Amino acid sequence: MKSSLAEELYSESLKLSKRELDSSSSAENKVSDIQDSERDHSLHEDDYFWDGSDQKLEKSSDLDRDWQRRREQFHTIGYRDGIIAGKEATVQEGFNIGFQESVSVGYRWGIVRGVTSALAILPDALKEKLIDTEERRTEFKKLHESTRSLSTTDALKLFNDAVVAKKSTEKGESSEVSSHEGDHHQQRSEQKQLESYHEELQSLILKSPQIKIQSP
Amino acid sequence: MEDIFDTSLNLEETHLKEGFDDGYKDGLIAGKEEGRQVGLKLGFEAGEELGFYRGCVDVWKSVIRVDPTRFSDRVQKAIKQMSELIENYPVMNPEDESVQEIMDSLRLKFRGISASMGVKLDYNGYPKSFSGAKEIF
Repeated sequence: MKSSLAEELYSESLKLSKRELDSSSSAENKVSDIQDSERDHSLHEDDYFWDGSDQKLEKSSDLDRDWQRRREQFHTIGYRDGIIAGKEATVQEGFNIGFQESVSVGYRWGIVRGVTSALAILPDALKEKLIDTEERRTEFKKLHESTRSLSTTDALKLFNDAVVAKKSTEKGESSEVSSHEGDHHQQRSEQKQLESYHEELQSLILKSPQIKIQSP
Repeated sequence: MEDIFDTSLNLEETHLKEGFDDGYKDGLIAGKEEGRQVGLKLGFEAGEELGFYRGCVDVWKSVIRVDPTRFSDRVQKAIKQMSELIENYPVMNPEDESVQEIMDSLRLKFRGISASMGVKLDYNGYPKSFSGAKEIF
């Protein structure tokens, strides 16, 4: 009777902890992997512990192992709660750091999109008032076409690659990055691509005194 | 038996606590990195949309300078309002509660302005897909 009750109690809590562990990060899984392999045994040895309490001295090494397993089991349960609490404590801080890191890059890129899009739909007469030469109007048009062909997702990917590349360069691991980049562009140009659109816009605007852009 | 049971409970608590502390330490690092990844994405998207409006507003302001009667007073007022909204956007403070409200007003004004200009000017980036946009004049 005792054993089936113990089994029921523990199997319930083990199922619960396993399910939650499976859905969370790899750090936890390492712990759960160790536990998984021992779970079936530990259930039975739990029973043994209950039944064999009157012969505890003889079974001291079994008990030691049992304590070890129970230690791991409770450690895992605690770990699971701890990692959630730890994440909650820093996730907002991390979010703010990431946001501040990317918002200006996105902003400069967005300005290129905005200026060239707004110019593109102006009637020709108005365009000619704003941009003196045909040549320069063509340059604006070309810039518009190349920014149009990039979705936000594409742009975000370029930005992410640049972030990763920057991080690797800081760590001195740039070779690792270049190995899985470079489908469409060379890595170096990827890093600079988003910024280069903005630089191109700036230089076009400098040559077009009728268009005034507030500096970002 | 009583003593063993007591000890066992204390040990369980100790092990729970140790596990919690280890998890908490890992969680601090993991949470910061996970948050940062989300922040990088949302920051870029918010920045792009804001920059897009800034670019449009700056072109429209330039139009008003070279051709003051091109836009109606109502449209000119709306352009000025957009400009102010962009300036008041707390770019470096994503936790600010006014963020969503300002972005919503910007989207509304932008749609209003492009409609009264008789153009279909879409923000091609997030949240709309680029392919859906058409430009007519």
